[in-house]
Amino acid sequence: MPRVPFFEIVRGARRTGTDSVEALDGDPVRGRLMVVGNPNVGKSVLFSKLTGKYVVVSNYPGTTVEISRSRACFGGIPYEVIDTPGMYSLRPLSDEERVGRALLLREHADIVLHVVDAKNLERMLGFTTQLIEAGLPVILAINMMDEAEKVGLTIDSERLGRELGIPVVETVATTGLGLDRLKEILNEYAGAAAVSAA
Amino acid sequence: MSTLAPQRSQPLKYDPSVERAVESVSSRLTGDYRLTRRSVALLLLQDDPEIRELVQETEGPNFALVNDAVHTSSQGFAEPLDSVISLQRRDAVRAITESAVRHSEHSRVRFNERLSRLCTSPITGLPILALVLWFGLYQFVGIFGGGTLVGLLENDLFGGIINPWVTKVVQALLPWPWLSDLFVGEYGMWTLGVTYAIALIFPIVGTFFLAFSILEDSGYFPRLAMLIDRLFKTIGLNGKAVIPIVLGFGCDTMATIVTRILETRRERIIATFLLSLAIPCSAQIGIMVALLAGHPAAFWTWAGIMAGIFLVIGYLTSKLLPGEPARFAMELPPLRWPSLTNIAAKTYARMQWYLMEVFPLFVLASVVIWIGRLTGLFGIVIEALKPVANILGFHGPLATGMSEVFLFGFFRRDYGAAGLDKMHGEHALTGNHTLVAVVTLTIFLPCVAQFLMMKKERGMKMALAMAGFIFPFAIFVGWALNLTLTTLNIKL
Repeated sequence: MPRVPFFEIVRGARRTGTDSVEALDGDPVRGRLMVVGNPNVGKSVLFSKLTGKYVVVSNYPGTTVEISRSRACFGGIPYEVIDTPGMYSLRPLSDEERVGRALLLREHADIVLHVVDAKNLERMLGFTTQLIEAGLPVILAINMMDEAEKVGLTIDSERLGRELGIPVVETVATTGLGLDRLKEILNEYAGAAAVSAA
Repeated sequence: MSTLAPQRSQPLKYDPSVERAVESVSSRLTGDYRLTRRSVALLLLQDDPEIRELVQETEGPNFALVNDAVHTSSQGFAEPLDSVISLQRRDAVRAITESAVRHSEHSRVRFNERLSRLCTSPITGLPILALVLWFGLYQFVGIFGGGTLVGLLENDLFGGIINPWVTKVVQALLPWPWLSDLFVGEYGMWTLGVTYAIALIFPIVGTFFLAFSILEDSGYFPRLAMLIDRLFKTIGLNGKAVIPIVLGFGCDTMATIVTRILETRRERIIATFLLSLAIPCSAQIGIMVALLAGHPAAFWTWAGIMAGIFLVIGYLTSKLLPGEPARFAMELPPLRWPSLTNIAAKTYARMQWYLMEVFPLFVLASVVIWIGRLTGLFGIVIEALKPVANILGFHGPLATGMSEVFLFGFFRRDYGAAGLDKMHGEHALTGNHTLVAVVTLTIFLPCVAQFLMMKKERGMKMALAMAGFIFPFAIFVGWALNLTLTTLNIKL
């Protein structure tokens, strides 16, 4: 009898029908994307949108306690995509955070997608700077842009990208806004990573 | 657009004294790490035990040199380097953020903010919680799901139309009562297993999941967590423990996994114990509330008793277990209108999950009971359980019924509760009887899966100890409650 857990219901990878991202069952992966960030910023939604693997999402911090792995294709290269439990910084305090960091320490990541909440940038960018410090290839996704706009925040993501020296993309994961741009960046990054590796 | 190359990223610069410390440590590192040496050095200076271990392993004999550098560098600072580095990083990040983010006030924010404050302050928050319980749980799940929908499905559709027809067909095909009983007897696969699962559990759990998903999506739960944070502190848990506890109302087994987010072992034990003792999961809560529907006083007594047990036992456990309570600042996600598609997807996924889990078990239970009845074992166990039922004030035919409920309840609380519903239909239980039975069952372990998870997360010894307390305690509370009700001559 297949056991389906309550908060991490995963129906298995399926084809998404978009051209740039496809679930690739069976093929060996040649790259790895890790999705990291604070709890409750939309990592699981982005993970689902990128891989087509459905994960039950809650408006509650800390509901992802196990690691979900799935596949997607970036820049023509089959990638493994990993959804990590919430992490506040590179210096973990709870078991849940340790799980996430252990992944960063043990497994090679070709791309690290740091997802942050647009409303709380200041509290979350510290982790971004740590990831940069660690020499990891970081892409910053400023998620929940719609909510930030509602509370009257405007974010100059280009400027932010220049300050940090990494690609920055604004997204609303739940509606899919900014996802095309994110996929574009991922495709380019994956291509560049493949070239520099070769 | 090849300007996106990763090499362009610019690491933060700290003030010269910190930079010197970083340089002195990183220059002594020789091993290969997935993180840059700069990053490893910073984490070492911040006294990160795991990184220390990793470096010790990687550097081998060279570690002594590295360790010296860490020590010498740290001595030059009045404050712990961890906080010095964190503060400097915070300042740098603030500067970056200020350059890129602009604020403007919005009326909507103030409304949201006010609503949020109403939910979290005790004076307004507790009445709001009572309203949520009354309308969301009692009225919607209990009266509408457990009363109206179950009435339609169980009595009218299954009881009136489907079951008589299925019974007739099966009895015609299998003219031996001992065999046809397996399918359409009192405890038959169809008449008990399938009917329970679809006509009774399905509408109740469905309405509960719907209510739960709406509350979850709206962001109410974290505010509830803030509200009861102070209460939790007195029982040795911090606000973060509210997360597994609240999720326990969905599924205790999964919530037991979520106790991993707690920082100390002590907290994890307290939370696991309270989950298995005092938190009824979605499967039970719905059916318990449905049973109590029609007796509002019994509903509130039940809620009060469970809250009381939770607090008293939590308090005692935290006194018994040594250790400091951990500190934690809770994050508040925004209050938002629940998204319809998200709620539909979640309710659907959870219903599917529940039916897949419960359906085979219900059918299997029918088979086990059938075998038990053929061999006479069922009757022996029921007889053995009767004294327990007597203690709780159930006599005569009610004692037999209650013993069945207990037997079922050992496997799953909701299955036991479904048996209670059957009894309700046959004997017209009084409010007192219903309350005593529901309270006793609520304290039982939720299901066999919960026990297995406790064993996995906390170890066999701890799991056995918890179960060994829970079952006798459940009977004890039922006995005490019945005694109180009879002595004071209260009729609910």
